Amino acid sequence: MFQNRTEALALALPAAVFAAVVFLVPVALLLSEGFKTADGWTIQAYIDFFSMPLNQAVFLRTLKLGLTVTLAAAVIGYAAAYAIVTLPASSKGKMIGLVVLPLMISPVARTYAWIVILGRTGIINQALSAVGLTDGPVRILFTETAVFIGLLQLFLPLMIISLISALENLPRDAVPAARVLGANWFQVFWKVILPLSREGLIVGGTLVFTGSLTAYITPAILGGSKVLMLETLLYQQVTVANNFVSASIIALILIAMSFAANILLRRIASARSAK
Amino acid sequence: MTQKLYTWSILSLVLIFLIGPFFIIVAASFSAGDTLAFPPQGFSVKWILKVFTVESFQQSFVTSMILAIGGTLTALILGIPAAYAMSRYKLPGAEIVRFMVSMPIIVPGIIVGLALLRYFVIPLGISISLALFIAHTALVLPYAVRVVSASLNNLRSDMEEAAVLLGSSRAGAFFRVVLPNIRGGILAAFILGFVTSFNQVPVSLFLSGPGVRTLPIDMLGYMEIVFDPSIAALSSLLAFLSIGIVFAAERFLGFSRYV
Repeated sequence: MFQNRTEALALALPAAVFAAVVFLVPVALLLSEGFKTADGWTIQAYIDFFSMPLNQAVFLRTLKLGLTVTLAAAVIGYAAAYAIVTLPASSKGKMIGLVVLPLMISPVARTYAWIVILGRTGIINQALSAVGLTDGPVRILFTETAVFIGLLQLFLPLMIISLISALENLPRDAVPAARVLGANWFQVFWKVILPLSREGLIVGGTLVFTGSLTAYITPAILGGSKVLMLETLLYQQVTVANNFVSASIIALILIAMSFAANILLRRIASARSAK
Repeated sequence: MTQKLYTWSILSLVLIFLIGPFFIIVAASFSAGDTLAFPPQGFSVKWILKVFTVESFQQSFVTSMILAIGGTLTALILGIPAAYAMSRYKLPGAEIVRFMVSMPIIVPGIIVGLALLRYFVIPLGISISLALFIAHTALVLPYAVRVVSASLNNLRSDMEEAAVLLGSSRAGAFFRVVLPNIRGGILAAFILGFVTSFNQVPVSLFLSGPGVRTLPIDMLGYMEIVFDPSIAALSSLLAFLSIGIVFAAERFLGFSRYV
C-alpha cells in the first residue's frame, strides 16, 4: 500500500473527471428539465405526465412485463440451474458455456430471429395451420406476448448463471436428506432449496428485472408502436413529439429504478463478503 | 434414471429456447428466396454475399469497429491508472471515484445518448462522431476498471514494493513489474469492452447523423424497410465473429477467469 495521496489522485482523477463531465453533467441537466418551468421549479410536469392514459398504460405495461419476465425466468432458471449443478463436472462446464453463449451475440440478431418464428408466415403459424388448429394466421408479433418471449430469451441466461452459483453452495446432502425424511418435491423446494439460494435469486432477479425495464431493442423490434415500453416511449417522445419534458421524466423513472436495483445488489454483495 | 431424464429434458428445452432461434437465423440467411422465411426456400449464398456489397453496411461496420477499438483503448488508458490507484494507494474519496466510474452501467444508455446530443452536440457544436466516441468510451469504462481491478487484486503487491525498495521508480515498477503481470486481465477487459461496445444499441440511438451511424443502428433502420434475408445473413456473420473472438479468448487466455 503506497501512501502518496497526490500520486493516487493524479492516477484516479482523469477517469473520474471524464465520467463527471461527459456523464454526470449532461444527465443531470436532462433530469432537471422535468422540474423546470418559466416561473421556477415544480413537479407539475410529473403530475401531468402520470395523468395521461397513454403514459400510465406504458408505465404499467413496463412494470408488468418486468415482473412477469422475472417470474418466468426464476421458474425456468431454477429448473435449469438445478439440472446443471447435478451434472458431472465435465459436462457442467460445457453446459454453462452454452447457456452463456447467447450473451455474446448481438441482441439485434437475437431479437430478429423471433420475427422469423412469430411472424404471420413464421414457424409457429405454419405449424398451427398445418395441424389445422387455426383458420388464418394468428397475430403474435407486435403483441405483449412477443415482447415477453423476446425479453425472456434475452435475460434468462443471467438468471441461470446467478442461480447456478447459489445452488453450487447448497450442501450436497440437503435435498436427498429432506426427501428421505419424507418431504415432497414442493416442500423440498420451498423449505430447503429456496431459503439456501435466496441471494442468487435476488441477484438474478434484479439483473433480469432492470434489464427488462430498460430494454429498447426487444420492444422496438417485437412490439413496434403497438406495444410501447418506457424506453421506446422515450424515443418516440423525442423523435416524434419533440417533447423533452416527457423524455426527462421517463429518464428519471428509469434511472431511479436502475439505482434502486443496484443499491440492493451492492447490499447483498457486502453482506456476503462480511460473512 | 428419472433424475437423468429430468435433467436432459429440461436442459434440451432451455437450450432450444436460448440457442434455437440463432440456428433459424443462420438457416434463413442461406435462403434462395427473396423474403425472410424458415424453412428457407432453396439454398444459396447470395444474401451472405449481398451483405458485403451494401454500402451503408460497409460504412457503419467501419464506424462500429473504430468506436469499439478506439473507445475501449481510451477507456483502458483512463481506467488502468484509476484501478491501480484504487487497489494500491490510500486514495482519498475512493468510494466517490468508484461510484463515478461505475455510473455508466447504472444509467441506461438511451439517456446518456440523449443527454450528450442535447447538451454537447447541439449547443457546443461537438460532432456526432466525437459524441459517439465519448459515449462508447464512457460505456466501456466500468468494465475496464472492474476487470483490471480484479486482476490487480489477485497480484501480490510485495513484488512492486520490492522493486521500489531496490531503487526502481514507482513508474518503472509499474511498467516493468505490474503491467506484464496483468496483461491477461487487460486483454480480457479489451475483449469484453469491444463486444459490449460493438453490440451496443441504446447509447447510439440518438447519436446518428448523415453518414455517421453504428452498425446495429443501421441494421435496425434497414430491417424496417427491407424484408429480405440480408439482415439474417449479417446477423449470422456478426454472431460468428463474436463467438469466434470469445472462443479464441477462452482458449488462449482463460477469459472466463477474468470476467
